Amino acid sequence: MSPHGYEEIDHTADLALRVWGEEFYSLLDHSAHGMYHLLGITANHTYPVEWMFMIEDGSRECMLVDFLSEVLYLCEDKKFVFNKFQYCHNDVNLKVHATGFQKVSMKRTIKAVTFHNLEIKETEFGLETTITFDV
Amino acid sequence: MTGISINQFSQRSDFEWEIPTNFRSDMRVPVRVFASRSLLLDALGGKSILQAVNASTLPGLVEAVMVMPDMHQGYGFPIGGVAATDPETGVISPGGIGYDINCGVRLLSSRITLEEIKDWVPSLATMINQICPSGVGVGGDLSLSKAELKEACTKGAQWAKTAGYETQEDIQFTEDNGCLVGADPTKLSERALERGRRQLGTLGGGNHFIEVDLITNVYDDQAARVMGLQKGEIAVQIHTGSRGFGHQICTDYVRRLQKTIIRFGFKLPDKQLVYAPIDSPEGRDYLGAMRCGANFAFLNRQLLANKVREAFEVVLAGRVDHWQLSQVYDLAHNIGKFENHFVNGEKKRLCVHRKGATRAFGPYSEGLPVAYQEIGQPVLVPGSMGTGSWVLTGTGRSMERSFGSCCHGAGRVMSRSQAKRKVWGEDLLKQLVKEGIEIRAGSMAGLAEEAPQAYKNVDQVVESVVGAGLARKVARLSPLIVIKG
Repeated sequence: MSPHGYEEIDHTADLALRVWGEEFYSLLDHSAHGMYHLLGITANHTYPVEWMFMIEDGSRECMLVDFLSEVLYLCEDKKFVFNKFQYCHNDVNLKVHATGFQKVSMKRTIKAVTFHNLEIKETEFGLETTITFDV
Repeated sequence: MTGISINQFSQRSDFEWEIPTNFRSDMRVPVRVFASRSLLLDALGGKSILQAVNASTLPGLVEAVMVMPDMHQGYGFPIGGVAATDPETGVISPGGIGYDINCGVRLLSSRITLEEIKDWVPSLATMINQICPSGVGVGGDLSLSKAELKEACTKGAQWAKTAGYETQEDIQFTEDNGCLVGADPTKLSERALERGRRQLGTLGGGNHFIEVDLITNVYDDQAARVMGLQKGEIAVQIHTGSRGFGHQICTDYVRRLQKTIIRFGFKLPDKQLVYAPIDSPEGRDYLGAMRCGANFAFLNRQLLANKVREAFEVVLAGRVDHWQLSQVYDLAHNIGKFENHFVNGEKKRLCVHRKGATRAFGPYSEGLPVAYQEIGQPVLVPGSMGTGSWVLTGTGRSMERSFGSCCHGAGRVMSRSQAKRKVWGEDLLKQLVKEGIEIRAGSMAGLAEEAPQAYKNVDQVVESVVGAGLARKVARLSPLIVIKG
């Protein structure tokens, strides 16, 4: 198993990641880092950034897609690359406080995070899922 | 492995196969595959047929879910999939259209010969690459206000005409005259508008490209003459779509429909297949927004075509007699549209989803430009980089068997990571240059992902659609210049 909490798996046309974590928040962390890996990000560590956003409460799958879609948007549009996420969940939403650095470049575009066969499964180590990205 | 074998198909002809509805209890219509035996066997090693079976479970489908020979695994629907639903009882599924709404191809013809252009090919490649914004995260030089973008995505390519970017000829030779009626910008999110307003006139990355080609073979003299294609002359292909604007529209609605699907009480075989009844608030909202995305893409290709024309003028004016480029056709291969088709001898209005499939209307079909009434609609089938591309025409048979649809390209056989493991970008670049192709690419890794080895043989794909009677060959093109983001 990769120590990063994610590994790229083959998909004929698009990109896919197998991601795991001890609990939901570490699954979110590893998913974001895996997506940055697919994007081929380089960041400027002399320019720290900080951002807060909210994800609407819902199924874990919907929250995962919403979270990654937001992280992707912030990377493409605001040029933010986060290395740390802090979470606060209530009945209405998940508040995310993200810190990281300014993006310098990325090697590819991801069009979207899909729901294709998305199911977060419980394993003896925690949670695991496979995410397909449209590229 | 998907557990589907060739024995589970009934063979209708050498190039047409069907999986009956008794294959799986939740199928509502059969799955009809247009492919040679060899391409079908290859496809059974992947998940595209299984995805077509999943798509066949959607409510209100008519006749069959069709799959073209360039099929490959997608998300939800397979790439190469066609599905038509009844507007009264059926549904619209954003996953059946895709994130890159109206990703499509535009073909331009010229009177320039290879002899005339050969000394200027490198300069032309550099100029096109310089003028046409391409690559990861690259914005355009046109920045619209949100109000301007709303107007642009309502009018599509026709907005370009009012802004002085388009000729009447371009509009006439664009599918649906470059504008889907019913686009409703009030159904767009603020984020979609924000992403779209700086991306008009940009190529993007991935498999999008601009190619300058040589017409190497003509198979149908009459059709080629009508389209302005002549052996030994130069043509240009532009392949791109609706950029971040379309991606955001699809993201917004796939997400919204995850919530509403629960009330229809139907268990989806794949969450990406979420849908809304066409005649529902959600369905109408998605259609209004999706048409904005489609119109954006028509306009995007128009603006890029103008930039390519500018590059031709800068490099070739005064050096060749006729440097101008004329539009042959512009078509969509990721789209959902209402069209009239005959079902069991009765004319019916249907909502046709095409995902990685091209409209291929036969002669005298509704909506064709007058010039193409006799020959049928031009069908543009780009091959992989460094191989060849095809120009075909739609047929009466495609109207009968595939809701007037055909293949859209070569279709991938190798994943991107496999391609990168097997092909070294720098080596591929050297090989293509040795073959006389000028390449301008954003990254070597991106080039390797799009290597010819990662795709099916486009000639075999075309033989299948021609063999199935869905299209007729008109011309084959070979690349001279490839610009990739």
